[in-house]
Amino acid sequence: MKIEQYRILEKSLINEFIDKLTSISKVSAPVYKGFNNYAFHEIKSADEVSLKYIPTIIPPKKYFLPIKETLLDFKKGNEFKVEPTVEYDNIVLFGVHTCDISGIKCLNMVLSDKPKDTGYLVRKKHITIIGLECNDYCDEYASCAFVGAHIPTTGYDLMFTELTDCFIIHIHSSKGMDIIEKTGIFKPADSNNIEELKALRNNKLRIFNNEIPTERRYLPDLFDRSFNASVWKELEQKCLSCGNCTAVCPTCYCFDIKEDVDLSLQSGERYRLWFSCQLDPFAKVAGGIDFRRERSARQRHRFYRKFRYHIDRYGMVFCTGCGRCSRTCMAKINLKEVLTSLIRESEAKIWRKWL
Amino acid sequence: MAKVVIKDSPYNLKKAKILDVKTLTEKEKLFKLVFEDKTWLDFEPGQFIMVSLMGIGEIPVSICSSPLNRHYFEICVRAVGKVTNSLHKLKTGDIIGVRGPYGNGFPIKMIEGHDLLIIAGGLGIAPLRSLILYSIDNRRDFGEIHILFGCKTPGELLFEDEIEEWGKRLDIHFACTVDRADPDWKGNVGLITSLIPGVDIDPLRTYAAVVGPPVMYKFVIKELLAKGLPVDQILLSFERHMKCGMGKCGRCQIQNLYCCKDGPVFTFKEIMDMAEAL
Amino acid sequence: MSKPKVAFFDFACCEGCQLQVANIGESLLDILDIIQVVEFREVMSEKWDGEFDVSFVEGSITDEHAVERIKKIRERSKILVALGSCATIGGVNGMKNCFPLEEVGKYVYGESYKFFPTLQTKAVHQVVPVDYFINGCPVYQPEFITVLKCILQGIPYYVPEYPVCVECKLNENVCMYDRGLTCMGPVTKAGCNSWCINNGNICYGCRGLTINPNTEGFKEVLKKYNIPEDFLMKKIEMYNKCRELDKQ
Ligand SMILES: Cc1cc2nc3c(=O)[nH]c(=O)nc-3n(C[C@H](O)[C@H](O)[C@H](O)COP(=O)(O)OP(=O)(O)OC[C@H]3O[C@@H](n4cnc5c(N)ncnc54)[C@H](O)[C@@H]3O)c2cc1C
Ligand code: SF4
Ligand code: SF4
Ligand code: SF4
Ligand code: SF4
Ligand code: FES
Repeated sequence: MKIEQYRILEKSLINEFIDKLTSISKVSAPVYKGFNNYAFHEIKSADEVSLKYIPTIIPPKKYFLPIKETLLDFKKGNEFKVEPTVEYDNIVLFGVHTCDISGIKCLNMVLSDKPKDTGYLVRKKHITIIGLECNDYCDEYASCAFVGAHIPTTGYDLMFTELTDCFIIHIHSSKGMDIIEKTGIFKPADSNNIEELKALRNNKLRIFNNEIPTERRYLPDLFDRSFNASVWKELEQKCLSCGNCTAVCPTCYCFDIKEDVDLSLQSGERYRLWFSCQLDPFAKVAGGIDFRRERSARQRHRFYRKFRYHIDRYGMVFCTGCGRCSRTCMAKINLKEVLTSLIRESEAKIWRKWL
Repeated sequence: MAKVVIKDSPYNLKKAKILDVKTLTEKEKLFKLVFEDKTWLDFEPGQFIMVSLMGIGEIPVSICSSPLNRHYFEICVRAVGKVTNSLHKLKTGDIIGVRGPYGNGFPIKMIEGHDLLIIAGGLGIAPLRSLILYSIDNRRDFGEIHILFGCKTPGELLFEDEIEEWGKRLDIHFACTVDRADPDWKGNVGLITSLIPGVDIDPLRTYAAVVGPPVMYKFVIKELLAKGLPVDQILLSFERHMKCGMGKCGRCQIQNLYCCKDGPVFTFKEIMDMAEAL
Repeated sequence: MSKPKVAFFDFACCEGCQLQVANIGESLLDILDIIQVVEFREVMSEKWDGEFDVSFVEGSITDEHAVERIKKIRERSKILVALGSCATIGGVNGMKNCFPLEEVGKYVYGESYKFFPTLQTKAVHQVVPVDYFINGCPVYQPEFITVLKCILQGIPYYVPEYPVCVECKLNENVCMYDRGLTCMGPVTKAGCNSWCINNGNICYGCRGLTINPNTEGFKEVLKKYNIPEDFLMKKIEMYNKCRELDKQ
């Protein structure tokens, strides 16, 4: 920990900081929407922001991979013309939790893999991320410690951590440094602050217990044995295929591509739209054949996308432990419970081996 | 919000002009295409392109001409829905959008030096025609070439002229069957699987390339295994829903494989233990 | 190219869907640039006795007279569009099918019911072939425009085969279940961009059940939220009664 990379902000100045931030840039931050729901919205002043919040309905992924995004503008007919475009915004995301930062890292992995998604890369360059560390669990659905997303590591420009009487800020990029300089209300950190941060992180290792009775490194093994587990069949009856769990997941990135023409029928746009493996038309081909017709197969696919397939392809677990999928599911399908049942079921096979 | 043009977007399209349209059957048409900028489509047999009709949609279609043909490339399209029906309405001179090629294609370098058994069901002949034309163009690099072709009725037989020619060639063994004959039909009647036991092959030095409707694979594979073909010498090409063609949209995923990027051609060995594949 | 000739017809319905079309706002003028409306009882008195390029039909088919009339319209129309829930799924009129016809007749017309023959309510496609479906009670204007563009381009319009929740989540609404309310979103066909929920109302399921609804699972959900099951079944019946005729 290089002390020069840290700054201090008095707690009473946090609103002043946010207000200053909104005067130098477009800012988006968590806003309360009622009924224990939050959403990232563009804000104009600090009063709108909720510093203490549980993961937002939709993750800040929406700024990187917009829900609906134009891929091409076109003209038809004799003047046939196609123009691939990207829309971007210089925007600062304030108050991003470490789980969501980890989700953005997953997206980076996929969309900068070849062939590169140029639109994504352009947009990403224009976004600044200011993180906000959680000192405690947001609620009982979270499993961020299981996947190692509870401690800030990379993926942000600035990281705010709340200490007893101030915030300590880690500066992780020159983009972050710019904000520190432009807002001009930060003080240098001293060694006491650093010690307190270290103590806080140590304490976190204790508070953030492993939420699921296994370890991350055993996931491939667990899932290799669980393809025919009975849990999936139970989900067949429960799941409504509403697609909520995937719509809110920070690491889901599947999409549909559609077109829209204007009333002249001569020009229009091709766009992509978030889509979900839980929905009927997702995998259907001509003739109505669907290779994942059963809800159980679709749910299994979701879990394997999070905990197995992408480990082979990208070397990462594609779950951030944010708990959104479980929070949003009206059928009360709970990620931690599903994982726990998988473990219980394969206990006879592998659990004993670990003891 | 700022908006900029990104020419290097992977979704950018090349303009392709329709040189000719040929009606093959009631449902299938053959389109001859060239890029307007006179560049050449560099592809392997078994690869596919994404074909765009602006305002209507974009679909994956196999390239069915020989990769050695430098004058034009061809696609054979069956009218089943939105884009395919609209494509059938186009005429010579019309412009469509194309990106690609995508997918792995058949492992030509592995097949060369071996015998080749081609098994096509219905429209499955499209990607296989590319392989057939390639192997005819490079005839001396392959051993025996067997072609088995099946479809539902004589009226659905694709590439009739070419088939007749393949049937006459001395350096190709060709057989054809229909599920249901009509009064004029003189050839074999029965499922394509009924032709397999009769082909004379040395299983250990043969690669089988199989493309057809999903229901066909299981039965054909069973016959091929009975013939003694090794599991890694049975090549299958799969159809899945595809939107991006480059391993991003997730639509074509078969467990951990992307049909568009890791496929569409797989060896039976790769997928034999995989639920959701067959 | 001359503008396509378009007509609007109504059967048993509240005419609310046509009203939505008439009130479509500024794009109406652009639309009138590309089509020629030749018959539209709600906004004009003219009639047309030639062929229609496109006919929009609102309402469900509930008696012999209507059957004859819709058959004639079908014959005269190149393209027939079912407009609104009454036309696409029978809609609220389908409630009639919950009771024996005789009883319905007596209830409405008293003892003289025999002079007013009535039939089981049917959606339009249950009587004549339909080319396009625009669901909703009333229809959602942007979807109407989308379908119109598909018609003019000569391509099919596919009603989304997934539930309203999909659109609702993408609109980042606070879920009605979190508010302690019920919502038909999880089992209702999408395509309305979760219009009702965006405006603070629950989804009433007006567009009809999605193609593959998990009604059993949905009952379990209601149990978890302490909502009586038949409350839901009544809601489903309210719009979907005619669905059973499709299965016959
Ligand atoms: C690798 C590959 C190669 C193919 N090669 C050929 C070929 O050479 N000739 C040919 O005629 N067809 C080919 N197809 C199939 C062709 O892509 C579909 O028939 C086409 O996408 C249907 O589009 P549509 O708009 O006409 O149909 P739609 O009106 O969109 O729908 C009709 C049906 O097709 C399915 N479908 C829609 N879009 C796709 C899609 N992107 N991928 C797969 N299924 C889809 C729908 O689920 C629906 O069941 C190939 C498909 C793949 C995956
Ligand atoms: S949110 Fe729940 S009910 Fe909906 S698709 Fe996901 S698991 Fe199924
Ligand atoms: S799977 Fe669930 S817990 Fe994991 S990242 Fe997605 S929404 Fe969060
Ligand atoms: S899941 Fe973990 S990191 Fe994310 S908000 Fe909850 S406690 Fe914070
Ligand atoms: S409010 Fe209704 S439509 Fe929206 S997510 Fe909740 S249940 Fe689905
Ligand atoms: S087509 Fe998009 S991942 Fe294969």
